[in-house]
Amino acid sequence: MTPLWLGVVPFGLAYAVIARDTGLSLVETQALSILVFAGSAQVSAVGLFGRGAGALEIVLTTFLLNVRHVLYGMSLGREVPMTRTQRFVGAYFLTDEAYGVSVARRARTFRYVLGAELSLFLTWNLATLAGALLGGIIPNPERIGVDFVFPLAFLALLVPLLGDRVDVLVAVVAGAVAWGLSRAVPGGLPVLGAGVLGALLGAAATGGDAE
Amino acid sequence: MTFWAACIGMLAVTFGSRFAGLTLQMRLPPFWLRFLHFVPIAVFAALVTPSLEGSRGEGGIRVAAAALGALVAWRTRQLALAIAAGLAAFWLLRLLPG
Repeated sequence: MTPLWLGVVPFGLAYAVIARDTGLSLVETQALSILVFAGSAQVSAVGLFGRGAGALEIVLTTFLLNVRHVLYGMSLGREVPMTRTQRFVGAYFLTDEAYGVSVARRARTFRYVLGAELSLFLTWNLATLAGALLGGIIPNPERIGVDFVFPLAFLALLVPLLGDRVDVLVAVVAGAVAWGLSRAVPGGLPVLGAGVLGALLGAAATGGDAE
Repeated sequence: MTFWAACIGMLAVTFGSRFAGLTLQMRLPPFWLRFLHFVPIAVFAALVTPSLEGSRGEGGIRVAAAALGALVAWRTRQLALAIAAGLAAFWLLRLLPG
């Protein structure tokens, strides 16, 4: 799990610094990390607060960004046997990173998934606290490339999953579609659209195989 | 007021999405099982490309540094190493004049 902390810490620091800069209090900054626990949605929400957006706008953007978790959950729920309580707890702490690590390492136990989830939750919240406290001191985080850690981390998660030509084709098409859509559509819709389209393409392309 | 309304709403839609996925457990036909195999591949790729370029006019440097990160990820399968290599390349390329 150590590798993902490298991405989470600067991302969490950056989020908290931006949040404090936008005018959120220490408690509000931390509350989003504890209650919502979704990095990209938190950063986008803080940006919307700064522009004076209403609660409904912010909630809808969050939904767009996070509805992809339905796909993660369905995939993870199929791989890992869980009781009802475990599903409830597992769902609360589910993130891109925890899902990525669990699937990439083909983990099949709830304990592994929860361990990944909780270590990310703890790291994210400690980074939030540190960033919120030190908010005034840290210079513009984008200047040192903190925002570059996000695509880098997902690229590093993606590459080991590419086993054959169809995998590569799906990644290239989904990446291109998301890039194109993101020019026209805000929020998480490009990710969801490209994710669904890419997975459909892969499923259709492998249909003829007897396996 | 606005903050806490937004916060509770964000909690509801985020947890709702996470919980719905984990509880929607039905027997899926082979097509949808293959679909799920490709979900992480497609979604991770879709998370990479829109944020790769950045907003500070450093697209070329970032793409080059990410390519090195991808190469390291492919050779070593070590996330930390890949991220460190990509970031180091990014910082080094930035120091170059022009």
